[in-house]
Amino acid sequence: MALALDSRTPFQKLYRFDAGAPWERLRRTAAEFFESVGVPGTKNEEWRFTSLREFAEHEFAPAQPRDWDGRFGSADPIVVQDALRLVVVDGVFRPDASSPDIPAGLTVGSWSQTKDDPAWRRFGSTVQVDRHPFAALNTACFSEPILVHAAPGATIERPIHLAFVSQRSDAASAVFPRVLVVVGENAEVKILETHSGDGTYFTAPVTEVFVDQNGRLEHTKVQQDSLDAFHIGHVRATQEAGSVYASNAVSFGARLSRNDIDIWLGGEHTETWLNGAYMAFGEQLTDNHTRLDHAMPNCHSFQVYKGILGGAGAGVFNGKIYVHPDAQKTDAKQTNKALLLSPQATINTKPQLEIFADDVKCTHGATVGQLEADSLFYLRSRGIGLAEAQAILTYAFLAEVLEKISLEEVRTALERVVFRQVAKVEPMPEE
Amino acid sequence: MLKISNLHASVEDKKILKGIDLQVNAGEVHAIMGPNGSGKSTLAQVLAGRDAYEVTEGSVEFLGQDLLEMAPEERAREGLFLAFQYPVEIPGVSNAYFLRSAVNAVRKHRGEPELDAIQFGKYIREKMKLLDLDPSLLNRSVNEGFSGGEKKRNEIFHMAVMEPKLCVLDETDSGLDIDALKIVADGVNALRSPDRGILVVTHYQRLLNYIVPDFVHVLVDGRIVKSGDKNLALELEEKGYGWLEAEAAARA
Ligand SMILES: Nc1ncnc2c1ncn2[C@@H]1O[C@H](COP(=O)(O)OP(=O)(O)OP(=O)(O)O)[C@@H](O)[C@H]1O
Ligand SMILES: [Mg+2]
Repeated sequence: MALALDSRTPFQKLYRFDAGAPWERLRRTAAEFFESVGVPGTKNEEWRFTSLREFAEHEFAPAQPRDWDGRFGSADPIVVQDALRLVVVDGVFRPDASSPDIPAGLTVGSWSQTKDDPAWRRFGSTVQVDRHPFAALNTACFSEPILVHAAPGATIERPIHLAFVSQRSDAASAVFPRVLVVVGENAEVKILETHSGDGTYFTAPVTEVFVDQNGRLEHTKVQQDSLDAFHIGHVRATQEAGSVYASNAVSFGARLSRNDIDIWLGGEHTETWLNGAYMAFGEQLTDNHTRLDHAMPNCHSFQVYKGILGGAGAGVFNGKIYVHPDAQKTDAKQTNKALLLSPQATINTKPQLEIFADDVKCTHGATVGQLEADSLFYLRSRGIGLAEAQAILTYAFLAEVLEKISLEEVRTALERVVFRQVAKVEPMPEE
Repeated sequence: MLKISNLHASVEDKKILKGIDLQVNAGEVHAIMGPNGSGKSTLAQVLAGRDAYEVTEGSVEFLGQDLLEMAPEERAREGLFLAFQYPVEIPGVSNAYFLRSAVNAVRKHRGEPELDAIQFGKYIREKMKLLDLDPSLLNRSVNEGFSGGEKKRNEIFHMAVMEPKLCVLDETDSGLDIDALKIVADGVNALRSPDRGILVVTHYQRLLNYIVPDFVHVLVDGRIVKSGDKNLALELEEKGYGWLEAEAAARA
């Protein structure tokens, strides 16, 4: 079906209009919105430090369904032995590679497998496409969304691993992973979402999350995309009263990566953990935007983002905390720290606290710097060489965040990636 | 084994060490005492290679080599160990990992095979007993959240594990309760040997009751103004530093 307006963007041929699907209207609105704004430029305040010029020069074709070689791209695969795994390759859900036996109380699978689940009614209801152009693009382009739905009261012991893989192809391709997560009242779930691949491609994933009353979700998103890839993702979470949502956002890969996490605290006494770990080396750029809406009283949020930047790597951190007039007794802590390992590396950080209630506790702190001279000297005075001492301290800096991931295999795998990366770094010359 | 000659050092153009001469032979224990701010820690840090201090004059020979030419890690690998007055906290690095890296760096330097985690575990277990250290401190981040006394004991534990040739202890006794002081002193005494030199910086004669020194030196305003045997420490305990400071001022 053709779009009733002149396309200004090169993405027009990626739009999909499956007539009769429940999201037909959503798609149309989203596509129209994206056409009206196009790819944001650096004049747009939200994109000030993240230029999409190079990205916009590419023509991305729809990913072609192909056989899967079983690899997870250039990154070391993260294997969680007892996880329920769902694999999506080049935008296509692969039931053949996915775990079959699904525990009671849990619905997982692609749209066509899980159509009858009532959770689908929430699909797309909270994603603010007008604030996130690439979430709009995702909505216009996704092929088949994935559902994870834990019924009220269900404690799902096995972690759920959603693996999105892009294979190398001749033409740069685009994929639009789309996930809906519903954690019912008093239910408990752990989700690992991994993104990896080979070659040049563009991925714009959107994960929409609902944690109902007293539900608990640990959501670990690991971005290990190819160093030629573009990853522009969005997570939208809504928490009801008494719920706990822990987000572990890890960005190690991609040429350019952008991760926007918006969390709406819609009930009292919620707990939110926002842990972020990122690395950018060579020519990589990693941009993390978070927005926490404290809309109700008595909610606690703890945010720690840490990044290491080497070579000509660039980091951007923008953390918005919005405390609404009703949100008395809000307790919000935000820290972001970056280590610059080379003179060319850069970081732009911007905490944004907007507080409209008077009885609140909000703190934020940002540090940017090099390794501490005292620590370096302490290690060296015990015989540890300069390069190794720098590597150990750099590693430890990030490991402090990775330690928050409860899935041990994920944590260990990521620690190994960090260690290998920092061991390669040229030691900073001493003053 | 250590020969310090006319050593001058300053930080940000402030002169701190103003001509130190000191020789420590294998098998000897030397104590350095002196008022706050006289330069004791500076001397210890300069020996370990802290680059915040600039050596403006003089020389230091360690086991026949020019110590001042060596990077801090080389000094440690050659057998120099400094127990810090203020041990540094290293969040995110476990005490065990840190120590193994340190031990292996030294072993590699000596051409010995590195120890894996299991071999290393065996090796340090005995040393832990020696210092009566809570085994949980091994898996915790280096010094992070350790009590003052635990930090000091941990320093001596590191020293015992690394088996250095020259031990420099900067106020290892301060902040220790009486039992811990005894444990630390026992740890140090266990390392006394004919081929090891020990240099102890302390404010208190009490430590020297346990670690009996062969020589005591008094550092005042960047200079050693008096040297003697263990009785000098007793004299200082009684009379304080005033008389030496006055003497030093008269001479200057
Ligand atoms: N990094 C530095 N920058 C500026 N001044 C310094 C620095 N390090 C030491 N000093 C100064 O040098 C002098 C000697 O300090 P040092 O720490 O060596 O004394 P100390 O004899 O160990 O004292 P204490 O008994 O209190 O431990 C002091 O006046 C101190 O303030
Ligand atoms: Mg001192």
